Amino acid sequence: MRAAAREEQPGAPRPGALETLLDRVSRGDRDAFESVYTAVAGSVLGLVRRVLRDPAQSEEVTQEVLIEVWRSAARFDPGQGSAMAWIMMLAHRRAVDRVRSAQASADREHKAAVRDHSPAFDEVSEQVERRLEREQVRRCLGQLTELQRESVTLAYYRGFTYRETADLLGAALGTVKTRLRDGLIRLRDCLGVSV
Amino acid sequence: MTADLHTLTGAYALDALSPEEAREFARHLTECDVCTHEVAELRETAARLALAVAEVPPAALRARVMAAIPEVRQLPPPGRVADVVPLRGRAWRQRLPYLALAACLVGAAVAGGVAVNAEHDVDRQRTQAEQQASDLASLMAAPDAAYHTTAVHGGGNATVVSSVSQARTAFVYRDLPKLAGSHVYELWYSRKGSMVPAGLVDSGRPSGTAVLAGAASGADGVGLTVEPHGGSKQPTTSPLMLVSIAG
Ligand SMILES: [Zn+2]
Repeated sequence: MRAAAREEQPGAPRPGALETLLDRVSRGDRDAFESVYTAVAGSVLGLVRRVLRDPAQSEEVTQEVLIEVWRSAARFDPGQGSAMAWIMMLAHRRAVDRVRSAQASADREHKAAVRDHSPAFDEVSEQVERRLEREQVRRCLGQLTELQRESVTLAYYRGFTYRETADLLGAALGTVKTRLRDGLIRLRDCLGVSV
Repeated sequence: MTADLHTLTGAYALDALSPEEAREFARHLTECDVCTHEVAELRETAARLALAVAEVPPAALRARVMAAIPEVRQLPPPGRVADVVPLRGRAWRQRLPYLALAACLVGAAVAGGVAVNAEHDVDRQRTQAEQQASDLASLMAAPDAAYHTTAVHGGGNATVVSSVSQARTAFVYRDLPKLAGSHVYELWYSRKGSMVPAGLVDSGRPSGTAVLAGAASGADGVGLTVEPHGGSKQPTTSPLMLVSIAG
């Protein structure tokens, strides 16, 4: 941690720390980038790993995503949403691109097996903050209907298109489209997300 | 087809459209403010799903990334200079109190993440940390868990998580300034105007979590003050924060 940097201005207002860091990164500040790394690498890796499953590939893609954050920090537009949402969008897109380009892999051939083991949450000992976040998300996921929850988690955590998701769930395309939207809206409200 | 397009916000935010559909929807976004706003919100929501599955990355990954970036040329900003004051960031931080953007949190290696600042006594602290993590987990999972986020006078901010059914309260703090000398942050339950000590905040780091000591029953608020070393029986300074947890 960068204690010195943090204590320079204890009383100063701190508008979105990650956004401020990204702005510095866009001007080539490597220390700022390392702080960004520390703040987001765990979530990027966790998300990418959900989608790709393979640990080595997941690390590779995580590395690509973080380098992409460095490369394109200047393209982040705070008017469009938070820095965290932007970074997770980069991560999800890249993971999804990778998994879809490897469509023929054995993993994707066994789609039917997916529903039987979808451990959305591993119980590992970890930081309290992460746990808090995790518990809140779990609680909110628990408030979705089963179809909403399965649609959202298959699409996001597994990287399936809504067509594939509909196939997996044996539901109509239009239904899954709608469940993805109203499921996310319910999650948004439960988590208190606003833009 | 156009009416139908509006329902694609969810699938688009989750990258669940085919490339053609995604391109078509992206065109739609350039002329539909409603969908643009909804996509932004749903993306924020999706990011929360990512945070919930965070893992501890291997140290070698950091080394590889940091070694790579000096070689990577950065893109210039697009067109005009953007306003760098991130309006959204504030909202995000408030909604996401536990996400400690601060570098220090992720680096703290003790199981459960509870702050410790000494090498000795690690086992006892680890046990405490695990106990606290498990207390927090059940607190967070409680159907009646309520979250109150507020700025802390003097710097930083905090979220008080309380649950009547669990009779427990947690204090999640971010960016609390380091105190001068041996002063400490002390937590208080308020009950009908009187303040009851609820434990000290670990001084080891600016961000972390504390479960309040003592029973929450009957408490209508949670306060934070600065006290001399060891804490006080009664507040000796005015509260830096007072959060109502009633109802
Ligand atoms: Zn629209």
